[in-house]
Amino acid sequence: MSGHVKNMCPQLPISQAARTLLSLLLVAAIDSVSAGVVCRKQPCGSSLQISLKLTKLIHKESADLLKTYKVSQGDMSELFCQMSINNVPDPNISGLDPSERMLSIYSHCKAFLPHLKRVTEQQTDLQPPSSSLLSKLSTAQNRTNGLANQINCIYQTLFPNLPIPPEPVDGPTSVPPSQNVFQQKVYGCVVLKRFKEFLSRVTRELRTLKSQVCTRRTTFADTNALS
Amino acid sequence: GLDRQVRLDADTEAQKLLVTWEDGRASTFDVEILRTELMEIVFNETVVATEDQSTGKHQWNWTSPVPLECTSLSVKVRSRDGQDVSEWSSQQILPGLDLPDNTDSQMYPEGKTVPVGSNMTFCCIVKEGQQFGSLLYKDTLVKETMLSRRTYATTMTNQGPSNPSGTNVVCSDEKKMIITGAVVFVGYPPMPSDLVCETHDLISVDCQWSKGRETYLFGMARQTYYTLNGRNCSKARDSNMRCGLEQWDGNWTLVARNLLGEFRLTDAAELGHRVRPVAPVNLTTPEVYSWNASVGWLWKYNGYERLSLICQVQRTSHSNSSTQTYTGYGLNTVVLKDLQPDEKYNVKVRCGSQKNFWKWGEWSLPLSFQTKMDRPVAPDIWLWMDSDNLGRVLWKVSTTSGYEVTLWSPEENSQQTLTLPQSMYSLPINVTDRWSKVTVTARNPAGVSLPANVVIPRHLPGKNGGKGSGFPLSWVAHANASCGYVVDWYNTSCTHDCNVEWTRVCVSINAFFSFAGNFFAGVRYTFSLYACSSESTVLLERWHGYMQELVPSRTVPRLSPNQEGSDVQLTWDQIPLEHQRGFILGYTVYLTNASHLTLLANITDPQLTNHTVKNLVLGSYKFTVKAYNAAGEDGGATVSISLDPYTYWLIMEILVALGTMTCLLIIITIACYRKRKWVKKAFYPDIPEPKLPGEWGITQGTLDVKPSPHSMVHIVEDSVWDSSKEALVTVPEEDEEGTGDEEADTDEPASLRYYNQVVEEGSSSRGRPHASDSSASSTGSMDSGHTDVTYTGIQTSPDASQCAGGGGYRPQMQSASCPEDPQTGPEEHLQPPVGSFGGYQPQCSWKQDSPEADGGGLDQACLGSPTSVTSSQFLLPYDTSEEGKEHQSSASTWFHNLLTGKP
Repeated sequence: MSGHVKNMCPQLPISQAARTLLSLLLVAAIDSVSAGVVCRKQPCGSSLQISLKLTKLIHKESADLLKTYKVSQGDMSELFCQMSINNVPDPNISGLDPSERMLSIYSHCKAFLPHLKRVTEQQTDLQPPSSSLLSKLSTAQNRTNGLANQINCIYQTLFPNLPIPPEPVDGPTSVPPSQNVFQQKVYGCVVLKRFKEFLSRVTRELRTLKSQVCTRRTTFADTNALS
Repeated sequence: GLDRQVRLDADTEAQKLLVTWEDGRASTFDVEILRTELMEIVFNETVVATEDQSTGKHQWNWTSPVPLECTSLSVKVRSRDGQDVSEWSSQQILPGLDLPDNTDSQMYPEGKTVPVGSNMTFCCIVKEGQQFGSLLYKDTLVKETMLSRRTYATTMTNQGPSNPSGTNVVCSDEKKMIITGAVVFVGYPPMPSDLVCETHDLISVDCQWSKGRETYLFGMARQTYYTLNGRNCSKARDSNMRCGLEQWDGNWTLVARNLLGEFRLTDAAELGHRVRPVAPVNLTTPEVYSWNASVGWLWKYNGYERLSLICQVQRTSHSNSSTQTYTGYGLNTVVLKDLQPDEKYNVKVRCGSQKNFWKWGEWSLPLSFQTKMDRPVAPDIWLWMDSDNLGRVLWKVSTTSGYEVTLWSPEENSQQTLTLPQSMYSLPINVTDRWSKVTVTARNPAGVSLPANVVIPRHLPGKNGGKGSGFPLSWVAHANASCGYVVDWYNTSCTHDCNVEWTRVCVSINAFFSFAGNFFAGVRYTFSLYACSSESTVLLERWHGYMQELVPSRTVPRLSPNQEGSDVQLTWDQIPLEHQRGFILGYTVYLTNASHLTLLANITDPQLTNHTVKNLVLGSYKFTVKAYNAAGEDGGATVSISLDPYTYWLIMEILVALGTMTCLLIIITIACYRKRKWVKKAFYPDIPEPKLPGEWGITQGTLDVKPSPHSMVHIVEDSVWDSSKEALVTVPEEDEEGTGDEEADTDEPASLRYYNQVVEEGSSSRGRPHASDSSASSTGSMDSGHTDVTYTGIQTSPDASQCAGGGGYRPQMQSASCPEDPQTGPEEHLQPPVGSFGGYQPQCSWKQDSPEADGGGLDQACLGSPTSVTSSQFLLPYDTSEEGKEHQSSASTWFHNLLTGKP
């Protein structure tokens, strides 16, 4: 009997999750929390591993993006990138237990998206159309959106009974109103710098979550199977 | 004096200040503008400001060099009439953004677009309470001026073009930390050029121009926008500067506009003068032959049918490329001539308007086709003479599948045809043969080419002997020798930097001519006779000759003997030309005995350079070969040979045969070694582990053992039978326990080992070497009864216990548990050693040759089935269910018999 427990780890939570996911999807359809997100059933470890890989990729690209950004902004960009600006999402991941921290990652991803979009718009007006910065910004937006969806799926699978709140838990950070060109340059730099920091933290966080949550789920499955 | 207040209106974008005041009479005023905070005068001049009739007010515009936001300005006005001035009006203040209630740091102007070379003043308003540090333009520290308590300004002159994202100007505090900044876009107004409009479809217009100077301005607001005849050219971007209109207008105006200015370009033309056809599409080859092909294409627009077109067709083959021009109304098919058969061609087409040619259109996409194969052209052949009478017929290689060479002899009316492959390009010819003409034809799958002929020359160099001081030459008169003959001669053996002499001979003296020169005896000269004509000189005849022949100056080189049984073959080389000193007539071969020469042969063919002396008896011989010419023989080259007896050859043959055999044996050994697994499997397979049938269960009996699926035989060294001991000894099976994590076997009972100590009575073999494997025991234990056999996990059964009779383990007892017919395999059944219990006969179940036996029965019948240590026989039955059992059994029997020395 004991030999079969290993296999039950991914099966049991998923069959449980499937039921709760159905009801959750119903709720989701009503309040459109996760509209358009289709989650594939995957074992806990593998889906987190995929997200981890994606995060590492975006993190690597974000470093390159920041470098390209600075080069594209003209002289002294290194200096004015150190200026502080309000209303840019904070890179810290909050929460005490894994579910809260996971939710924080999700909402941060969502929070960064409008800022990245704004920076892209602003830079479109400041760069030649052939600029690689614009394509990199666009790629970053797409990947972040993908990461947010993946995190959403993992969250729904792991914590089927916890709904995803419609608003980001860390409070909304609205994109700034009209800015002059210099402010735009500084703003973009700060957004990209924080975005990079955030991804670095997500990488660490997902690594921890993988060891914590997946092990915990296995243990949970073990006790279920034995009882 | 001014009776009304001054009013100020600021246009911060344009940095303009509009000053309005009321004073009906005067038209000249003094205006004073100063920075409110530091009371510095910025402007103090007399200006003319006429009264606006409708409002009765005076207005005056002032453009500030410094942005109006930088600091507060105070303005006062007074009227002037010559030297009479009124009272100053009260000061009117335009508040700056550096007032204490506006605490943030700022920089002005921000995001402005200015032309390259312009001057500009930037000001930085530091945050309330913050300390100003420095101002930087691009990455350069610039000198600042203090305008107020919080405002510092700098003026940049002659600004250069900026980056796409603009030039950064920043203001830092005393810790070099940036407080604030601004961006300025410095660029140029647009300046496009070369506007050209044309039509492709004979209806619409396509205009193109070049962008001209870079404006350095990007983004929605700053980029250049173009309009053509008032219509927006939204697609004109980057390097693609073109714009189209639906209809042909005849006149076009392009306006390029950006924040810094606009530029106009115009073009005008008639439609017929600006036709540039599109690229032909759908190229096809309706007809392809060997030497020509037709190429057709389609036009995208119907209007081309009535258009007179001139088209270029470029064809490219692997060897070359050429372009042909064709014309016609709505031209859409052409015939390509002068193609090569079986050749791959690439063609592409472009066209222009024939009448009022404007420009070539774009090339079409290329089309590939291959011409058909045709019979090859006649080969280009030549006859090349590489010596006086040897030559080669050569031909130039072409793409064919082979050649046919025919040799003709018209005199004998005979011919000989040779078929040669494609790779051959020459054929050796001996001009002394009867053939007088050579014909070469090339052949390929499409047919045979026309023949190419070459006549084999007949005028071989003749021989001539000198007379007196010259050579007499005679020849037949030649019809074309209009200007006489030329005779040249040179030393034939000369190879480098030779002295050629010649003489001209009159036409009349054509029958015989003897001419003297500086000729030496023993030197060969070559004479050539040429017929001289107005067109060219023709070689008529050639001679070789000696003024006087001398005996060869050296002997034949490289003379060597070669024994062939009882014969000796002598070979040598020809004497080099310079040493021949006469025409070599042949060779004489002598046998030398002491100083006596015996003539063996006289070879009269100077080309033959070998001779075989036959039927010699054993012994030593000396041969001398001499070449001779008209003057006599040379000194003679001598060579000796000792004929060896044939016995050596016999020994040699035996040795070779032995060597071959040895090699063969080594190869077989290596092959057996490399395939040893197969050999072992085929001739001496592994003893299969005994299998227990399912029916074997735990039964009643005194031995409390559980059946184990394994039946192993352990041979334990050095154990003497002690009759006082129990016959069976159980030991825990420590070695067999796996250390892995599998726990599947935990419910199995612990297996036991049984030591059956079989001892041959009377033999004291303690310390005797002990066979450690079954095969060794089989071969080396004919008389050994000392080695112990360990049974691992032998099943218990009532029969077994009965067999044992309570005294110990005796599976070899003929009992109910061993019901086998003792006649089964009687030959293989060796006599067991005589033991205390009647001998150990585990081979009771040995049934390798019993076809009726089935595996289950065997297993049931044989208890334990170990290998007898005193027997060379296999104790375990073969699994009869296996295929090829019979083959295996017989093979192993044979091998076993071989090992045991049985027939």
